[in-house]
Amino acid sequence: MPAAPPEPETAQQASQDRPAVRAVGLAKSYGSTVALVGLDLHVAAGETVALLGPNGAGKSTTIGVLLGLLSPDAGQVQVYGRPPSQAVAGGLVGAMLQDAGLMPGVRVGELLAMVRGLYPQPLPFGDLVGLADLGSLLGRRADRLSGGQAQRVRFAAAIAGDPLLLVLDEPTAAMDVQARQNFWRQIHGFAGRGRTVLFATHYLHEVDDAADRVVVIAAGRKIADGPPAAIKAEFGDRQVRFTLVQGSRARLAALKGVRDVEHDHARVTLHSTDTDATVRSLVRSGLAWSGLEVGGGDLEASFLRLLGEGS
Amino acid sequence: MTGFLILEMRRSLRDLRYLVIAVALPIGLYLLFTGLFGSHGQRAQGLSQPTELMVAMVAYGAMWAVFSATGSRIAHERAIGWTRQLRVTPLSPVAALAGKLTTALAAALPAMVLVALTAVASHDVRLGAVQWLAMLAAMWAGVLPLALLGLAIGYLAGDEIAFPLTMALYFALGALGGLWMPPSVMPHAMQDIGQALPSNAVAELGWRIAGGQASVPKAVLVLAAWTVGSGLVALLAYRRRNTLSVH
Repeated sequence: MPAAPPEPETAQQASQDRPAVRAVGLAKSYGSTVALVGLDLHVAAGETVALLGPNGAGKSTTIGVLLGLLSPDAGQVQVYGRPPSQAVAGGLVGAMLQDAGLMPGVRVGELLAMVRGLYPQPLPFGDLVGLADLGSLLGRRADRLSGGQAQRVRFAAAIAGDPLLLVLDEPTAAMDVQARQNFWRQIHGFAGRGRTVLFATHYLHEVDDAADRVVVIAAGRKIADGPPAAIKAEFGDRQVRFTLVQGSRARLAALKGVRDVEHDHARVTLHSTDTDATVRSLVRSGLAWSGLEVGGGDLEASFLRLLGEGS
Repeated sequence: MTGFLILEMRRSLRDLRYLVIAVALPIGLYLLFTGLFGSHGQRAQGLSQPTELMVAMVAYGAMWAVFSATGSRIAHERAIGWTRQLRVTPLSPVAALAGKLTTALAAALPAMVLVALTAVASHDVRLGAVQWLAMLAAMWAGVLPLALLGLAIGYLAGDEIAFPLTMALYFALGALGGLWMPPSVMPHAMQDIGQALPSNAVAELGWRIAGGQASVPKAVLVLAAWTVGSGLVALLAYRRRNTLSVH
């Protein structure tokens, strides 16, 4: 049995001629639960795109369809001009899925060597070890790793075949801050080789660490598509709260980044697109305040607000 | 595909459960039973005690070998998401399934040969070269339905129950199949059940060949029926797990 169907063209040729992802009108329901409603998604070759949305927005379903793990009820999807399952079989795609694990009972080095062997043009082993920072893990058992280590190995398994398109479903969900920074550095390293990256996340702050473009989905449809800064300004509802001891409330709306002001007696909540700037300008404003809190960045709250405005 | 197969096999041979239950246990039981029952009695097919027990333990070891490489291992891989990760590589699901079956059958061979070598070394069991080859080959082919049964369990059962289920099946098939004691000492009703089991049929092939009987026995029909039956269940279970779905 061949490991992969014959390649009519080199991976490089495929990347030059075709968009990495072209999905039109995707619809998918599970029984009475509607996951996708006419979703369109285009990703150009070489782009790094974030698929941003709250839990249940349809991100994992979209990724399942792109990888050929799910068939849509309606709509078309092509990955480098091929049906998803053929793109996967041809080794054009690598993926790090949310609920995917590692082969038990083998060493990390053995596992990655095997995965490389499944692809027609894998990454050189040394490059793979360097990109995923695996040097110290190669001799370890793949089923006896810490969460963060396993995540690195799963990333390595996803890029082992040097895929043109790397798909990541909430890759940093279980990582601490340090691990996240390292991870995005590794993703940059991989994307810098001219590869296409599509990742799903519900962390708004991750999109400007990593993405060229952000596609926002909610309730199974695309609701925004743009550069990270624009998306953050629109969806990044973060709040600065404090008790106003002395000074005019009227001046609050003029502080930097403030989009909305709420009062509960002397307790003030500023909705801000940039809490750092808001706090700095608050400090310089000469207003007297106490009990400062910064919070939010909560995408769910933003979506609720947005959906509420829409209806 | 070759790399996948080699790694699966290497991993099988390193598996502690495999080494203990498929290799060490049949050898231990062989030495224990020949010690308990003595080496000189006549048993099934007119075979000597050590030869008859050797065949039984070859079947016993082979049975666990194919179970250990399928049932709970596949159920566990499904539970932890390794199966899912493999599906987003170029390895086709059919190749992955074929790899599992091949690995299971390959794992049976060392377990079988090591019991036979123990019998030769400890009790000077002697068969002709052709007889040895025919016996091992027939019994090896005969574990196919057991490997398919293991696949069916792997794709049907959850991670928690797959191991106890396989273990229970292994003991039941061993005891009822006449691998622990000759079927002739069991009540008639149990003998009838025993003869319909694949474990007994595998041993029966070995006993017949070791006893120099060339006739095609009922055991072949029993194994063919189990191959069709468990093969169908395995295929349906596999297809159910691999139809397009999120989980």
